[in-house]
Amino acid sequence: MEAKDTTATSSKIDPYLSSPSSTVSEGEFVLLIFPDKRQYFAQALKSQRGKSPSLKINKRSYSTHMLIGLSYGSVLELQKNSLVPLPEGEDVIPNHQDLSIDTEQPTDNTEANDNRHLVDSNTSQGLSIEELAKMRDDKDISGAEIVDKIIQNSSTFQNKTSFSKAKYIKKKQMKYQPRCRIVKCTSASVCEALFIKDARRIMNLREDSLGQILSYSNVTAGSKVLVFDTCMGLITGALAQRMGGYGSIHAVYTGMQPSYIDVIARFNLNFMEHNSIRWVHAGYLFHDEINTQEKLEGDDLDKIEREKVTWPCHLQPHTEKYLLKMESEKKRLEFLQKRCGRFARKLTRPTLDETFASLKDGKKCDSLIIASQYDPKETLTTLLPFLETSCPFVVFSEYMEPLLECFEMLQKEKLAINIRLSDTWLREYQVLPNRTHPNMTMSQNGGFILTGVKLCPIHGINELDEDLMKEIRAEMGTRRGGKKRKNCPRGGEENKLLKKKPSMR
Amino acid sequence: MDFAKKLTDYENVTTKSGVRILETKKDVDENDEKAKLENLLLEQANKAASDLFLGSGSRLFSTIKTLSEDSVVRDKDHLIDAKLYPTKLLPPSSIIEAGSLVVIFESFDSLNFVYATPGEVFHNKNGHFHHDDFIGKPYGCKIRSRNNRGFGFLYLLRPTPELWARSLNHRTQIVHELDSAIVIFNLNIRPNMVVCESGTGSGAMSHCIMRAIAPHGKLHTYEFNQMRAHTAKEEFKRNGVDHLVDVHWRDVCGKPSAESTSNDGRETKEGESLTFGSGGFDIGPAAADAIFLDLPEPWLAIPHAAHTIKPNGGLCSYSPCMEQTQRTCQAMRDYGFHSLKTIEVRLREHYVDEVELEKVPTFKLPRDMNVNNYVPGQSVSPVPSNNGESGPEAKDMEVDTNKKEEETKDSKEVKEPVSKKRMLGCRPFSNMRGHTAFLTFAKAGNKSYPDPLKE
Ligand SMILES: C[S@@+](CC[C@H](N)C(=O)[O-])C[C@H]1O[C@@H](n2cnc3c(N)ncnc32)[C@H](O)[C@@H]1O
Repeated sequence: MEAKDTTATSSKIDPYLSSPSSTVSEGEFVLLIFPDKRQYFAQALKSQRGKSPSLKINKRSYSTHMLIGLSYGSVLELQKNSLVPLPEGEDVIPNHQDLSIDTEQPTDNTEANDNRHLVDSNTSQGLSIEELAKMRDDKDISGAEIVDKIIQNSSTFQNKTSFSKAKYIKKKQMKYQPRCRIVKCTSASVCEALFIKDARRIMNLREDSLGQILSYSNVTAGSKVLVFDTCMGLITGALAQRMGGYGSIHAVYTGMQPSYIDVIARFNLNFMEHNSIRWVHAGYLFHDEINTQEKLEGDDLDKIEREKVTWPCHLQPHTEKYLLKMESEKKRLEFLQKRCGRFARKLTRPTLDETFASLKDGKKCDSLIIASQYDPKETLTTLLPFLETSCPFVVFSEYMEPLLECFEMLQKEKLAINIRLSDTWLREYQVLPNRTHPNMTMSQNGGFILTGVKLCPIHGINELDEDLMKEIRAEMGTRRGGKKRKNCPRGGEENKLLKKKPSMR
Repeated sequence: MDFAKKLTDYENVTTKSGVRILETKKDVDENDEKAKLENLLLEQANKAASDLFLGSGSRLFSTIKTLSEDSVVRDKDHLIDAKLYPTKLLPPSSIIEAGSLVVIFESFDSLNFVYATPGEVFHNKNGHFHHDDFIGKPYGCKIRSRNNRGFGFLYLLRPTPELWARSLNHRTQIVHELDSAIVIFNLNIRPNMVVCESGTGSGAMSHCIMRAIAPHGKLHTYEFNQMRAHTAKEEFKRNGVDHLVDVHWRDVCGKPSAESTSNDGRETKEGESLTFGSGGFDIGPAAADAIFLDLPEPWLAIPHAAHTIKPNGGLCSYSPCMEQTQRTCQAMRDYGFHSLKTIEVRLREHYVDEVELEKVPTFKLPRDMNVNNYVPGQSVSPVPSNNGESGPEAKDMEVDTNKKEEETKDSKEVKEPVSKKRMLGCRPFSNMRGHTAFLTFAKAGNKSYPDPLKE
């Protein structure tokens, strides 16, 4: 058993133990979340002269350098041309003096106003659209002032109930005094943001489904995981984050090269986490010839090439000449920077052959996760042999039908146990004094999940050794039973049960 | 449970890469263009290595630079070497050994567990199963009973927190696997974090949290019931996960009243390590990355949680009643928590059936069979003749239709494979398993709160 040590002592030496920072560092991706659920990814970058600001919100561009060093959870106000950090304690919905209302106390039906005099018309606002637009463009008028003006010019405001006043103000504030919060990119927040943006691109993988995949697959620090993920790399990134750089994630990809770098970058993975992801080309697994061969054909050319390189990759004479001829130091620097980065990545990257070998040889995988657009049944059949027995697998699909086929196959061929097909029902609530209710909108589809535990292919069918079985039966003195059982080696009792209950797992 | 095991290091390509931070040459001649270029290369190589290993803009790199300028002897640990990044894997463990925890799978609804002990026997309604038959077998195998002519069987599975939660003896309500998955995911619990939980209850949630914080994290779990705290502690030890957890026998809600002092320091009967305490999480200010509350009065624990949690740390409270949830939300807001989110989540499980759909029979009634003459309560009677009497003609008809039916039946049997459609169907379980509750998530503000006990 491991010695009882807490994280503090050895963190300076062991790079695995560095704790995540609570402030935004340079280069990091963050999410800016507005109270109306709009979400934007932003990368905190030092302002680079000549380059346009990187973040676009409401058709305006903002520079993101001011995010560097801010605490996660801080609130920003979107002003005319900058994001302004607000002091601690400010909320994304500003406090407003007109809201000294009694929403905090339980109302005893003495609400002075109700909707009886409400007239639905567009004439209640005294300010014209043009006037509003002018105020918005005016640098000297703040968002808060616009909101106040709108309230003053509303003929119906004073007759509203306190709840509708609050709602009205909130609506105007979201529009004219927009604020957002800096949220850390975690598996949950990244998944939610992508789901809101375009659920179909991530195969309708809702946050709760991703959370379940990570738990049901039993991944933990040090696991060896095999994942086939066509949800833009969302699962792969989430796995890397969950495992903290310990263990290895063999991620299957198709096409010429893994195309999920974009989404994986959103997770701000550190080196170990990045390095725990090993890309395996699907051809290695699904091409009959390669998969069944004992040894790969031919030399690993990538490996040969890599081993020629030594750090820091001294310059070839012609490169040296070329560099010395360069006019500016700056250009030289840029060239070398790119070159070193390229070599560093190359040197630390395993070749495809090496990755496949590490998947195939040695320890089998502790978890198998499939969430791909390809036929789940075929995928599962091909990948299941790489999984250690009694280890869990999870198959996710946008549709239920492909999972039914998998379910049937697993059950019929006795490949797995504890098989479960499920989806989730998720409802969010607004919990406020006297205003608690389910949210207006509710997502109806977060995808379907099939999970199970792999059975031992030999011992799963033929339990005790033959000898021991004979012994037992001899003791019992019932020859007939023994003979009968030989005819149906899979166990008559079990088959009967299966027939009775078609879905017994 | 696998996460309890010590990770073993595996060399991999990265460790062989040799990419590391190099020393630059000092005292370079201003006019030696080649030497200057060489130094430039080293600098850029260092920057690339630092960016790769430590992330761009890392502070560590600048430390190295300043140190070298002051020509101070460099701390070797600062030279981040690729060798520090081996792959750390769990050791393989597929064979059941004496002492191994084994989950016994009898059926989907009936799970059990044993610690494989030579000579012992596990009994259930299907028979007697000898532990000696388990030892040496791989997890995931099927075991036959020694009695009942070997007809009884069960499966031996490798324990996971989910299987453990289903097989353990529920001393309290437990957090089921769906909820625990959502909680750990939303609190973003990751390796090496410090997490607080209360109450410990049956320890079901504790195991799930420990899986996520392994290998060097710490779970502080608080339980005011002495028996439960004690049993949990024993169980964690037996399951080999005690290096990941501290069990505290403590009332986390305890108000700083006179009553609590009388309890403080109360020794357990056995005189072992657990002593009673009251009031909050006693691990110091801003110490926990995340806190999970499964308590009858969670709002009383919120002031303590605000003190213990790190800035922007995640808090989650799990309550079956909306009234509890409302009070807790209010307390969270009062103590600087933000981004509150309350959800309810339920698992819909499905059966998968092989369905055979028969085609609707297509045979045609003779023209003079009038449906309108059907009298409720009577079997379909022959069609009366024109004058309203039932004559021999009608009788013939009856025979006739029977014959026709027989004929169609015959022909149907011949065509059977065509007229039946086989497909897989799924049908939801009639009842949802587990109980439901409201899950409230919140983020701690960046302001620190004093210890409520010292106010
Ligand atoms: C529902 S159980 C928790 C179950 C646990 N989450 C699990 O999954 O096994 C609640 C536990 O909280 C304990 N408890 C209640 N109030 C407490 C308090 N003020 N301080 C510490 N523990 C408390 C109870 O004794 C009970 O065991």
